[in-house]
Parts: sequence; C-alpha cells; structure tokens
Amino acid sequence: MNLITLQNWLDNISFAVLFATMLIYWVGAAFPRLRYLPTLGTTGMVIANLSIATLLTARWIEAGYFPLSNLYESLFFLAWGVTTVHLIAENNSGSRLVGVATSPVAMAITAFATLTLPSEMQLSAPLVPALKSNWLMMHVSVMMLSYSALMVGSLLAIAFLVVTRGKNVELHGSSIGNGGYRQNGYRLNRATDLVTSPQPASIEQPAKVSLVESNGKAKTAVLDVVTTPVATVAAQSTQQALSPQRLNLADTLDNISYRIIGLGFPLLTIGIIAGGVWANEAWGSYWSWDPKETWALITWLVFAAYLHARITKGWQGRRPAILASAGFVVVWVCYLGVNLLGKGLHSYGWFF
Amino acid sequence: MTLENSSGSKSIWSIPQAFLRRELLPVLTDLRLAILLFLAIAVFSVTGTVIEQGQSVPFYQTNYPEHPALFGFLTWKVVLLLGLDHVYRAWWFLALLILFGTSLAACTFTRQFPALKAARRWKFYDQPRQFQKLALSAELDTGSLSSLTPLLQKKKYLVFQEEDKLYARKGIIGRIGPIVVHVGIVLILAGSIWGAMTGFLAQEMVPSGESFKVHNIIEAGPWATPQIPKDWSLLVNRFWIDYTPAGGIDQFYSDMSVLDNQGKEVKHKKIFVNEPLRYRGVTFYQTDWGLSAVRVQLNKSPVLELPMAKLNSKGQGRIWGTWIPTKPDLSEGVSLLAKDLQGMLLLYDAEGKLVTTLRPGMSTEVNGVTLKIVEVVGSTGLQIKADPGIPIVYTGFTLLMLGVMMSYVSHSQVWALQKDGHFYVGGRTNRAQVAFEREVLDILDQLTSQPKVEVSETPAEAIAT
Repeated sequence: MNLITLQNWLDNISFAVLFATMLIYWVGAAFPRLRYLPTLGTTGMVIANLSIATLLTARWIEAGYFPLSNLYESLFFLAWGVTTVHLIAENNSGSRLVGVATSPVAMAITAFATLTLPSEMQLSAPLVPALKSNWLMMHVSVMMLSYSALMVGSLLAIAFLVVTRGKNVELHGSSIGNGGYRQNGYRLNRATDLVTSPQPASIEQPAKVSLVESNGKAKTAVLDVVTTPVATVAAQSTQQALSPQRLNLADTLDNISYRIIGLGFPLLTIGIIAGGVWANEAWGSYWSWDPKETWALITWLVFAAYLHARITKGWQGRRPAILASAGFVVVWVCYLGVNLLGKGLHSYGWFF
Repeated sequence: MTLENSSGSKSIWSIPQAFLRRELLPVLTDLRLAILLFLAIAVFSVTGTVIEQGQSVPFYQTNYPEHPALFGFLTWKVVLLLGLDHVYRAWWFLALLILFGTSLAACTFTRQFPALKAARRWKFYDQPRQFQKLALSAELDTGSLSSLTPLLQKKKYLVFQEEDKLYARKGIIGRIGPIVVHVGIVLILAGSIWGAMTGFLAQEMVPSGESFKVHNIIEAGPWATPQIPKDWSLLVNRFWIDYTPAGGIDQFYSDMSVLDNQGKEVKHKKIFVNEPLRYRGVTFYQTDWGLSAVRVQLNKSPVLELPMAKLNSKGQGRIWGTWIPTKPDLSEGVSLLAKDLQGMLLLYDAEGKLVTTLRPGMSTEVNGVTLKIVEVVGSTGLQIKADPGIPIVYTGFTLLMLGVMMSYVSHSQVWALQKDGHFYVGGRTNRAQVAFEREVLDILDQLTSQPKVEVSETPAEAIAT
C-alpha cells in the first residue's frame, strides 16, 4: 500500500478516535453509572496508540531514519507517548479520571499536527548535518518520552487538585518514609499526629467484609469517594481483628501522579545528559545555555522541587501538586514555547 | 547538635564551628531551602532566555530604554548593572549554583546517610500494637510465618526470621539512589568549575590546503596554558561540502593532518559534523565553513588565486565576493559573487550589470579576455577545545543517571508476628503506595487462600487486557 496515503489515513483516524475517546471519558465522568464507558474509553486510547505507532513506523520506513525530524513527527511521537503513559497510569490507578485529563491533551496534540500544521510541514524532510548522528534517536526519543510522562503526571496532579479542592489534605505517598502509617476514621487528616497516637476506636473493623467492600468502591467510584467506605465503619471493640486500610481516590491519584512523574524525571535526566554528551562529541560543549537546554533544565528544576516538596514535613498534599501542575506549563514552554524564539541549536525543522 | 565533643582543646575555631553547626547547617540542609534554590535557579534561568544575552551596550540601550522603562523598572542600566546581559556568568548566579552544591553535599551527610542507616537498622515487631500504626496490616486466623516466607520470596523480598517474628524488605537501593544523585550533581558542578579553570576554546577559519597553529583563543581559564598546543600544528588537506540532489547541504568534511615539530604527519583524520578529531586532549570540531579564495586564469596566464571576502548581507544568507582585474594596470575588471562551493558564480561589470553566470571549470569572454574559473577554494571553520574537566563531568553524568533510576525503586518493608494464636502481617513502603497496596492485599489473599476476593478490585486491569 502507498505509505503516504496510509499516513494521511492514520493521522486523521488517530485524531477522530481521540476526539471520540475524550467525549467518552467526559460523559463517563458525568454519568458514573454507565459501566461500559471506561472500557470504551480505554479501547479508544489503545486504538489511537496503535494507529499513531503505525503512522510513525510508516514514516520510519519511508524516510529511512527515526521519525523525529520535524514538528509534525515530534507531535505525533508526543501523542503516542501520552497515550502510552495514560494506559500505564490508568492500569495502575484503576481510575477513569485519568482519561478525563489525558484524552483532551492527546486529542489537542493530534488536532494541531493534523489540522493546523500546513501540509508541506507534514512531509518528512532530509536531516540537516548536525542531526545526522545516532545520538538523535537516543536524545530526542528519551526527551519526548519524558515530556509525555511528565505531562500525564502533571495532569494527574491537576486532577488530584480538582478532586480535593477546598480541602486541606495530607497524604500517605511521600518518599521520606512517613507514608504507610494508619490514620483515623477520616482518611485525609494529618498523618503525623496519628503515628504517635493511633485512635483504636476507629482503626479496627471487621476484616473480611470491609476488605471486599472497599475493593469494589474505592477503585471504581469516581468523584465522591474522598472519604472511604472503610473508614466510616466505626468498630466498637479493640478486640476486633485488624484489617488493611485502603487508599482512597485522592491518595491513589496523588500516588500515581507521583509515580508517573517519578518515571518521567529519570527519563528527563537521561535525555538532557544524552543531549549534553552529544553536544560535547559534536561541537565540544556539553552545556551552552541554549534556550532549549535552559528550559529543559528549568523543567528539571521544577520537578526536582516537586519531588523534594513531597518529602518536606507539612507540605504533603496540595502544595507539591500545585508545583506539578505548574510543571505542566513549563514542559509545554520547553517543548514548543522555546521554538517561538526561533534561535539556538534546536530550531531545526521547526516553524514560526 | 552536641557541643560536648570539643571539651578540652578550645581553639579559636570552636566558635565559628559551633556557629556553623548550630546556625548554618540546619538552614543549609533545610528542604525548604533546597526547594527555594531549585525555583530561584529556574526563575533566573528564565530571565536569561527572555533577555537577549551577550549583546552590545547600544543594543540594550535601544531595546530597554529608560523612558518608558519595561515593567516600570527594567532599563538598560538595570540590565547591565545586574548582569542580566550575561545571566549565566553573573557572580550571583554562580554563587547560587555554589550554594546549591554546598546545600546538596551537606544534605547528603545530615539527612541521606542517617536515613539510609535507619533503613538498614530495622527491627522485628514483637507486639501486636506495633501493627496498628501500619495502614496496611491485618490480623489473620489462618496462615503462618512458614506460609508467608515463600510468598515474600517470590516477590523478591529479603526475608529475616527469628522464632515467631519476621521482617522482610526489598528495594533498599531506592534509599541509596538519592545519595548517588547528589554525589553525581556535586561531581558535575566540580568538573565544570575545573574545566572552566583549566580549559580553553578557540576558533579558526582555515583555507583548504593550509596549515595552522591554534592562535585565535576565545576563552581560556587561568590555568589553561598547558593545554594549548605549542609544539604541533595542523594541516587542512582539503575541505569540501557534499550536497543533496535538491541542492541542500548534506555534510561538511575536512581532511586533517596533525603535524609534529618537523612537519611530519602523526595523525590523519577526515572530520565532519558529529565526528571530531582528537589529539593530546585537544578536540577539533567541524562547525563552520566559508569561501576563502577563487582560482582563475586570464587568457594563458598562470592560475591566480584571489582572496574572497564575505559581504555584509544583513542576515539574508551568506555571500562572498572578489574583484578580478581584466587589464594589467587594474583599470578595468569584473566583480565575482558566490554563495557556496559548487553553485553559480555571478559576474558583474563596473556598472553593476550582470555579465554572465559561471560554474567552476567554465570560462567566458569579458572585456576582451578569456576568464576561466578554475575552482572556488573553501575554508573550514573549526572549533578547538580542551576541557580537562570532562572526565569528572562524565563520571557525574553516569552517577546522576544511575542515581535517578535507582531512586525510582520503592523501599518496601513487611513485618509479621505470630502471637497468642493470632497472625499479624503489616507493611509499608515509601514511594509506590498503590502498587504496594496491591502487593500486600495479594499476599493477604493468598495467606487466607480465599477464592479470589480480588476479582472486583481491579476493573481497569480487566479492561486493559
């Protein structure tokens, strides 16, 4: 089959599928009772992911080099990354809210690439001399994957902020080691108080029953489960058996956001270093404060601040999430905004 | 922070030391300072990408006038005074980076090592109430330590057992990772300082066929002298450009020889972009190109080489030109313009009218003489650099990459206790709360060997498969 025709089909299909997927996720969030909608949404994401992968493969075959040479290809690679990380995050969290946040972004990226970019910019172009290196694939693909992971992670942080809006929360999922301790009946209270003085009246409950119940509810219910069903079962006697205290929706969103950002951060580090080593091998300077480099460093610093805010006493909860949400904007400035300046080493094959 | 340690010999240093320990160290290792530093470095870096860097004073005078001042304060005087025209070399920016490195190093000793030590110095739980404070704990009627151990081992836990008590852990590498990250960053900062002190950067524009020594040094650290080549030189045997069929540039090549004192070749290499030449710690990168001369023949004259000069084209592409005399007394001649090594050459007469276009190898009649363009001689633009800090920086890069990957791992701990006919199991982890919860519930399920309670637990998994 003609590769060019195939590509034209595939980019339109991915856009259309992602648009439908977004609507499905949104309707699904509005009407949580429609049980088949999340399945449909995930299916849409999988289809979009596969068609973008096919699109990129077709271009790889056509051009003979890794398809990351211009804005069009890089946007589709980003969209592929976002859908992939979405599937990981959704699978790990079991929350249909993930798609509510990620699908519009994936849809917007493909819409921009398919509809807004002039068609001559959608063609694959020969590489300029500076990009003819095996480092291109290493550096650019890792950077793009890190952007996707950081974007999805920040989107989940935004979702977390929406879910916990108006509440002063403190959570389990910190990385200093004060996570994993039991709290009293209302799950989103200060963890530190309770480590020293656990309240036996509310932490005990009938074991098997609540385990099954909470399994069902905490994982599937959507917006209304900031308080867990487990915790509301107030047991009377300290003699009753101990049972696991489950994470609620806010906990889950926060932790998945943290883990996804935790995945994007090493990728970003490796990507920046790969770029530095490449630059040093190609023109003798691993760091030259080029705008793109500087913004990659800024992104790195913002997410490093996020990771450290999580382990700062009394800062768990919304404050790191606000930093992560700001990170979403910073990633976009780093990815596209810098090219608006139109100068520096990274302006190849771009527009404006 | 104890003071007893310096009981006997009180030197004059004890007071600043005590100050350092009691006042400075807690501030330096405060996580909020770290976050502040991250964000401060980020914000100042932004200014460097917004305000044009390294321009001339008139440039800032035009773009940042005093009336009206940008945002009411940002005049060219402010820009120059604060060093915002060279943010990344400003003393306060470098001071910020050094403070960052110091805070990082201090944090490693006061926080990370103790945290790692604490993680390694685990203890068994021997009281049921100790399980109450763990969120993920359970009291079971069935199951025993002997049935729990293989389950934990299957999940890659390191299991310790003593009588009726059990402790298991995995992912302690996740506690080592952050330390490695910090060491890596400190090494990168130190290596870049060392490189700035001992390295140099030079640029040379060398016509094809000529030899040169490194002279045009752009930057050099105070201890850079030993790095600058003195008893050897280089010869550019040939410089050429490969073009794509469409006329775009495919690649630049310079065929280079390293010559010793006697002019003998000691190394030979064809360099191109992404493929430099290295010799004795100095690296030669292909970064630029130009036209240096045109070789012409008038009637039956010998081949004359006329230098070409780059013309000011105000950023609209690059053009080189020269003037070719057509009379021996230089009273008449033509101008020759070229924009690359293989394309058209444009010939203009004294009135500025286009006479004809030529390619290298072609000849034409002008002012009654036959002018033959033999060839256009290119010159190669080389960036020359020595950076003795590179090995340190690369070591830092390696550690940083390893460290961030290690830091992804979650440190998980599980305790178990058999007491008074009850079996207590509990655990916690520091990063992957969701995954750990799933793991512990799975273990508890298998311990109680209920027929698949967990079916309803993960609808998304069912969806994804």
